Amino acid sequence: METAVLQVFRYDPEKDQTPYYKEYEVPVEGTLLNALLYIKDNLDPTLAFRAFCRSEVCGSCSMRVNGKTKLACKTPMKELVETWKGKPLRIDPLNHLKVIKDLVVDIDKPIEKMKTLIPWLVPDPRVVPTDPMHESIIYPEEMEAYKDQIHCMLCFSCYSACEAVEDNDRYRGPFAFSKAYRFQVDRRDIETAKEKRIRYAISGGLWSCVQCQKCLYVCPKGVKPAEDIQNLRGQAVKKGFTDKPGAKKLKHFVDWIYATGQINRLYLPEEVYGNREAREKLTKAYTEMGVEVWEVPKPTKGLMKFRDIYLEILSKEDKALDLDFSHVRKIDRMVSEIFKADICTIIDRAHEEGRSSRGLISKLKGLLGGK
Amino acid sequence: MVELDYDIVIVGGGGAGLYAALWAAENTILKVAVMTKVYPTRSHTGAAEGGINAVLTHSVGDSPEAHAYDTVKGSDFLADQDAVDIMCKMGAAVIYDIAHRGVPFSRRPDGRIAQRPFGGASFPRTCYAADKTGFYILQTLYEQCLKNNVTFLNEWFLLSIIHNGERVEGLTAWDIRNGGVHLIRTKAVILATGGHARVYWNRTSNALGNTGDGTAAALRAGLSLKDMEFIQFHPTGLAKTGILVTEGARGEGGYLRNKDGERFMKRYAPEKMELAPRDIVARAIQTEIDEGRGCGPNGDYICLDLTHLGEEKINERLPQTREHAILYEGVDPVKEPIPIAPTAHYSMGGIDTDRLGRTPIKGLYAAGECACISVHGANRLGGNSLLDVLVYGRLTALEAVKYADEAPETNPSMAKAKDDEKRILELMEADGKEKLADLRRELGNVMMKHFGVFREEKSMKEGLEKLMEIKERARHVKVYDTSKKFNTDLITALEFLNLVDLAPAIAVPAIERKESRGAHARKDYPKRDDKNFLKHSVVKLKEDGNYELSWKPVTITKFPPEERKY
Ligand SMILES: Cc1cc2nc3c(=O)[nH]c(=O)nc-3n(C[C@H](O)[C@H](O)[C@H](O)COP(=O)(O)OP(=O)(O)OC[C@H]3O[C@@H](n4cnc5c(N)ncnc54)[C@H](O)[C@@H]3O)c2cc1C
Ligand code: SF4
Ligand code: SF4
Ligand code: FES
Repeated sequence: METAVLQVFRYDPEKDQTPYYKEYEVPVEGTLLNALLYIKDNLDPTLAFRAFCRSEVCGSCSMRVNGKTKLACKTPMKELVETWKGKPLRIDPLNHLKVIKDLVVDIDKPIEKMKTLIPWLVPDPRVVPTDPMHESIIYPEEMEAYKDQIHCMLCFSCYSACEAVEDNDRYRGPFAFSKAYRFQVDRRDIETAKEKRIRYAISGGLWSCVQCQKCLYVCPKGVKPAEDIQNLRGQAVKKGFTDKPGAKKLKHFVDWIYATGQINRLYLPEEVYGNREAREKLTKAYTEMGVEVWEVPKPTKGLMKFRDIYLEILSKEDKALDLDFSHVRKIDRMVSEIFKADICTIIDRAHEEGRSSRGLISKLKGLLGGK
Repeated sequence: MVELDYDIVIVGGGGAGLYAALWAAENTILKVAVMTKVYPTRSHTGAAEGGINAVLTHSVGDSPEAHAYDTVKGSDFLADQDAVDIMCKMGAAVIYDIAHRGVPFSRRPDGRIAQRPFGGASFPRTCYAADKTGFYILQTLYEQCLKNNVTFLNEWFLLSIIHNGERVEGLTAWDIRNGGVHLIRTKAVILATGGHARVYWNRTSNALGNTGDGTAAALRAGLSLKDMEFIQFHPTGLAKTGILVTEGARGEGGYLRNKDGERFMKRYAPEKMELAPRDIVARAIQTEIDEGRGCGPNGDYICLDLTHLGEEKINERLPQTREHAILYEGVDPVKEPIPIAPTAHYSMGGIDTDRLGRTPIKGLYAAGECACISVHGANRLGGNSLLDVLVYGRLTALEAVKYADEAPETNPSMAKAKDDEKRILELMEADGKEKLADLRRELGNVMMKHFGVFREEKSMKEGLEKLMEIKERARHVKVYDTSKKFNTDLITALEFLNLVDLAPAIAVPAIERKESRGAHARKDYPKRDDKNFLKHSVVKLKEDGNYELSWKPVTITKFPPEERKY
């Protein structure tokens, strides 16, 4: 019978000073879970891992194989052997979670984090009858809005893969936002709960997600936390929670892209944070390093056409109202002033000649609203 | 040994346990805790796909009475009709309640909860939420428990029930995460620990941990188990693992073929063919296998042929079936037939309770699959289990609240906890002459061979002897992992020992019930015998290790027994 070698992460905090890997030879048959059960039954009963349904519904058996998050009962051994030809298969517990023993991690923390986002229905008495013998009417179309989110089985694969969790321990985690979003788009949920969820989402790191999309790729159930997070951000902006840097960032993106076809990295920190620190940092950076030409926004060719298309996309996503035309006009004015000053040409020339553009910074500062 | 103190402890975080917790939490200020060996959302309720039966206000022409009749008929008249009556009347109330809490039931175009036909039902009354009904119910109940700040003892393993012969006093449990036996003081206990179909270890649709822990603990605590001989076999489990292939596969037009390629159902149910009721199809498949017409090198399975449906239809209607066949059987149903065989699916029998889920011990209740109320009698209808789980989760919660409100404090002795500690130590010090995995496989084989789809006196008696032998040999099973934290070796052993205790409780009444009724099909007594066996079997474990069998009358109110014909 064909076999493969698993290098399994072992750690019993009572006995082991540090984790180590132990090798087991297992048959290449069935799923990774079968291989682990084979180890437990035949080679080493002390190996600890979680598994229950063995048919990908309970969410117990997520772990990592050579760094990739996998659901053990959904991962055929054959596929692993083929993907990692010749390489050993290293089995690790989920990332970002405390190891209790071997492949078993502490999942209380992400559950507690999720709890802060009100991941349950708070019925609106105008929609959900209080009389228990009365049915609340829900049209099939309405359920489309949360048809993916309800598949979350709390396997924490996404939590393990998430870059924002890596950076920010307070970050609630991809699944938690999806769980919250599911109720944001449920007509039966009361408006006040929705408001609160947004508020808590913001303090739970809503704007920290870097949109790396990893959650979306690892989810074994087709939930798309990255998208739900974007939508929650949209809701936050719509509800007027624009005082947070993240919301401002989004506004900046929308407006600047419309105005110039690109994001203005130069101006971003100033516009988002708008405090002295940001301004000083900006000045310092530019006096030291000069201005790169691509950092100065210039209208691209076919800008007007681009604006039409962009507006169409925004309205399709129901975000056209996010566009702040007075802001856009301000940007337009700013850009045209830059051109009046012909900075780009000057900078371009400076660069061609191999000189630094340091001297221009004061001029720019004036345009950016600084003193 | 730490002592914990509650008023009500609910053991089990599946559908029954969580619904009980919710109703207890909302109706009392008493201290309530849910103890569960796996995180609640992992419970097996999450695997239920088909749906949940209930007569709703818009179910035209249907009535709770008709539902009750179907249930009683399905049970082969062994269900207690007063209990069935309660369950069927509460159907709409529990469905609307969980819908109001957020269960995303599939809807009709007019916005009302959709219902579909299901085996054994005279009206389309099965409510469903896509093909993941149990999953959504479990998730929603968990959300609602979080909302109500229910106390969870997650990853705690029930060991023993403590009572003084009259009322319950407490429990002992093992804290899986940190290790250690704990004594828990409580006035009331609701057992909601799920089924025990894992006795058929090698061929079951059940999760790895459906090992009847609560049922076994009740048995050891001197309580009676009822109708244990009745185990439902689902006709189509994947051949290698027993994992379920949904009824939908036949519903969409799949064929069952034997090794000659014959659609053999025409010899068993010429009209309904593949769509005949579960037990009939299961028996037909088993007969084909037994009579040498099975497929494969060992002739031990039958083929479920979907190839004629075409890739498109399979992908659209049966995506999960295709995925599972490829994953767990290595067969793509688009190209080849799926090897299937009957698989142990549901335990009708369980802890003996009255029509409100009460045991003879005051303050001790049972609900869900671990209980035998009995609403399923000799055969459960598809979709009735989730209803049973919710109705009795809720009723036992209300009973427990009422009781615990007035009951005086209890004072359990440390003796049981000391015993359990000793038992665990002994397991770690055993000689290891028997290997757990091998013995467990043997147990599963004995159960399937001697107490499977078909049963017969001689074979069952042999089987029982083997079971008693296995029970003896189980003393030599050793737990090699001696660590405290997350010792899954220990848990696996404790679960196995529970199965070992339960197996003879299935065997003894199976031998003595000399008739065929519902899921209990005897070759030597192929007919139902109402004169002698229209009664519940009751098993108790005696001090000397013997299983004592007695009988108890069935409650018949509206529906006199008649022949069960479809
Ligand atoms: C594949 C499949 C499909 C099904 N489909 C349907 C269907 O469509 N419709 C229908 O009506 N029924 C269906 N059933 C049956 C139904 O799902 C179950 O009968 C029902 O879910 C049982 O619920 P429960 O709450 O009693 O137990 P479970 O959901 O099994 O929960 C048991 C709980 O007890 C806990 N527990 C167990 N032992 C211990 C211990 N020693 N210490 C602490 N805690 C413990 C577990 O952690 C778990 O939380 C199906 C069953 C299967 C296997
Ligand atoms: S997209 Fe956001 S939530 Fe998803 S993994 Fe990346 S950082 Fe985390
Ligand atoms: S969103 Fe997906 S990956 Fe994340 S916990 Fe839920 S099911 Fe798992
Ligand atoms: S064991 Fe349940 S998801 Fe893998």
